[in-house]
Amino acid sequence: MNQFFFAVALILYGGLVPLFFRRKFVFMKATGALGIGFGCLLGLVNAIIKLFHPQIYSTSFSYLNAFSLTFQIDALSSFFLIAIFAVSLLAALYSFHYMDNPAKALRTAVHYFFFSLLVAAMALVVTANNLISFMLSWEIMSLSSFFLVVYNYEIEENRRAGYLYFVFSQVGAMFIFAAFAVIYAHTGSIGFDAAADLPDAAKILVFVLAFIGFGSKAGVFPFHVWLPHAHPAASSHISAVMSGVMIKTGIYGIVRIYAVLDWHTALFGDIVLVAGILSGVLGVVYALGQHDLKRLLAYHSVENIGIILIGIGIGMIGVSADQPVMAVLGFAGGLLHVLNHSIFKSLLFMGAGMVLRKTGTRSIDHLGGLIKKMKITGTTFLIGSLAISGLPPLNGFVSEFLIYLGGFRGISLGRTDFAFCLLAIVSLAVIGGLALACFTKVVGVVFQGEPRSQVAESVDENGPTMLISMLMLAIACIVIGVFPTLFMTMAVKAVASLQLGYGAIPLAPFEQLTGNITRAAALIFAVFFIILALRTALYRGKTITRSGTWGCGFTRPTVKMQYTGSSFAASILEFFRPVAPLTEDYQKVQGNFPQQTHYRSHVNDIAELHMDRIVVRPILSLFDKLRWLQHGDIHLYIGYILLAIVVLLFFV
Amino acid sequence: MRSIIILALAIFLAPLYSALILKVKAFFGGKKGPPWLINYFTLIKLLKKGSVYSTSTTYIFKLGPMVSLSAAVTALMFLPIAGQPPLFSFNGDIILLLYLFGLGRFFTIAAAMDTASPFEGMGAAREAYFPIICEATLFMILILFTVLTGQLSLAAYFSSGQPLILWQAAGSPLLFVIIAFFIILLTENSRVPVDDPATHLELTMIHEVMVLDHSGPDFALIELGSFLKLFFYATLVSLLICPFSLGSTVADIGLFFCILVLVYTAVGVTESVMARYRMDKVPQFVLTSFALAFFATVITLEFMR
Repeated sequence: MNQFFFAVALILYGGLVPLFFRRKFVFMKATGALGIGFGCLLGLVNAIIKLFHPQIYSTSFSYLNAFSLTFQIDALSSFFLIAIFAVSLLAALYSFHYMDNPAKALRTAVHYFFFSLLVAAMALVVTANNLISFMLSWEIMSLSSFFLVVYNYEIEENRRAGYLYFVFSQVGAMFIFAAFAVIYAHTGSIGFDAAADLPDAAKILVFVLAFIGFGSKAGVFPFHVWLPHAHPAASSHISAVMSGVMIKTGIYGIVRIYAVLDWHTALFGDIVLVAGILSGVLGVVYALGQHDLKRLLAYHSVENIGIILIGIGIGMIGVSADQPVMAVLGFAGGLLHVLNHSIFKSLLFMGAGMVLRKTGTRSIDHLGGLIKKMKITGTTFLIGSLAISGLPPLNGFVSEFLIYLGGFRGISLGRTDFAFCLLAIVSLAVIGGLALACFTKVVGVVFQGEPRSQVAESVDENGPTMLISMLMLAIACIVIGVFPTLFMTMAVKAVASLQLGYGAIPLAPFEQLTGNITRAAALIFAVFFIILALRTALYRGKTITRSGTWGCGFTRPTVKMQYTGSSFAASILEFFRPVAPLTEDYQKVQGNFPQQTHYRSHVNDIAELHMDRIVVRPILSLFDKLRWLQHGDIHLYIGYILLAIVVLLFFV
Repeated sequence: MRSIIILALAIFLAPLYSALILKVKAFFGGKKGPPWLINYFTLIKLLKKGSVYSTSTTYIFKLGPMVSLSAAVTALMFLPIAGQPPLFSFNGDIILLLYLFGLGRFFTIAAAMDTASPFEGMGAAREAYFPIICEATLFMILILFTVLTGQLSLAAYFSSGQPLILWQAAGSPLLFVIIAFFIILLTENSRVPVDDPATHLELTMIHEVMVLDHSGPDFALIELGSFLKLFFYATLVSLLICPFSLGSTVADIGLFFCILVLVYTAVGVTESVMARYRMDKVPQFVLTSFALAFFATVITLEFMR
């Protein structure tokens, strides 16, 4: 446990020191990145060791003489710690060359401070072992990430995004508080362990409240509204950390609360599964409609959270139906997808950050042809895109494969479970197809073809630490995709610590599954290299010429004629119009010599659309009517406080 | 050894079977049609040539044909051609194969986007769209087959004698599955009424327009890949149509290749008697396959339980 706290302290130190060295910009960045980086490295190594030596490590501090803050590391915590520290390590490395504006030295230093606070808080969230320490870490995490979101606070859009995020994270925290209050009211204890003794009705209440609270952090539909606003506003490595690991603390919360409630009902599984299907399908549909690269990636986080929840939901249904293999496959697939998503999503955000740094725009339809000048960025982004589309032989496929297998186990169950598993499988298939469409759009429009505007023409990819981070993540995608056994073992160990009543889970049957993936990957590579050799032989001594793209007889093609991201996605979005209404604004082209025209389209998120109507406006009008309470007279305010205390004394 | 020979035979014969479609279409048009070996001639001609690459393209353009061919060849290795045991098989291999075809599709689309051509972008957008529905259908069919056999691999569904078990367990709803499979075959392989491989108007094409810029050996790899992919789906349909095993391997293989003639002829007849659908009608056509697969599953389960 001491090594863990030492790592956290080192991370915090890495955030504090830059505050004193803001006049030496490069030195300041180096201390920040190195401090946080070394802390993460230490924490990472420590978490890996702890995961493979399953034993519960715990420690306790007294706080304000009233509470004790308890922290505990079991396999589930270690699993999440690995993802948190690995991604934060690379994000810290990436930040060294990404934060390149000496004019904003103070702001950069403050950014390192909050960054370190965020990493430390995330690590504490997944190790907290009582209600107080959990909420304390949770709030530090929410607040520090809020300050990172409003990094560029001069831009009004970013302030709005920050405000939206703040509201969502605080309302979400309220729900978690409520859930914890129910636990405390019944048990009188602040420990997690006591929650298993709750009556069933209270357990349902706790789970639903906690699911809403954690779901709003994780970005579960319809509580995801803050996500597509906050991610584009934050710096790219912060987006990588937030989307890669911070939202996963919500998943951690859901899994942990399920474990501590220790009630294996199918109801929880059904709730989680349906939420997962909704988030998965709608997330990717909205992603397809985005024109802003980082917003698009943010919606893909919603999608992947959906996939994770589908896995966990299948796991929970498996537990309730007494199907151990299905349960382990579902949970392990979901947890492995947590790790996988944290890898490829941070890779994609870092790639988007590089594009943003070098071109100054996030607008997909203004870019094009970047891979010619940004070879490493383009190639790693391509690998990340293949991985997020769940294609073999990359890591996204492995976790989806496990979830599929879990789902297929479930279709031999009774009617209700069968129906849920059927829905899960079909929606996973649809999600996979849509994700492929979306990422062929991104890769095709941003990195391939010809530049669509001036900004995309003269670019480079300077920034060694940024490239190293992306390369390492891309390699991780391939390694996990080809040799998944070790990583699946890690996920299974985390599942074992959920106390599902299976004791030690035998690894052999699962190793066989992942061994099959390794063999299949080897086969794919073998076939590919044979064909590559064949092709090389066929081209030996042949004349190869270069010329313009064939314009089908049209002799004066321009780059403006290229298919844009909007046109690429248009027909698929048309299909999903009922859930993704499109707002268009254009002038019709008229006459033989038409005037200049424009086209603007926006895909509306129904959650955002209806939340405004159903939730925000009624609350605003209610508070408008209560405005007389807020009159500015201090005497009456003191009266309110007294009244509140008296009322509390009566009732509590 | 037997599996390898059959696999080689399949790869070798796939272009011939595709020529059958051309012959059937010629027959309906009252023409003599191209020679039987036309596809081999085309492949040899292309392999002899050099290539012209667009200045807009990158290495992804060259990866496209290789990846899609690799996907098709790998898929055939898992396929119980003629009901014979495949080279490889494991629990869940069919999921891997479907995603492998996805990988091939990703690179075909990426190669098309690489050229900066508006026509190829148009084809790419359609190629990204229609298979989404196909995948949903295929997974629906997989669910049905898994319920019937309790397993999740091509070999378990289609090895010699296995399809008969499917028929015995499911009965007539399997007819729906065959029609659904046939619709997917037409969609995934860009045949009429989804796509018209013979058209001369780029605006109306899907697959053919995406490969406009490929030439020489690269194009030969693409052609071979599409012959193999068609062979893959046609095999699935014919194994379902004729689930019987004659008891001897040679007779089984002979019977299989005869049934395959029927399937390819059916494709040719469909192409001859139907016109291509308007692009916005295509999703409805493909969705029909999903509805059929869904009904087949529901009906079967209703009677089984």
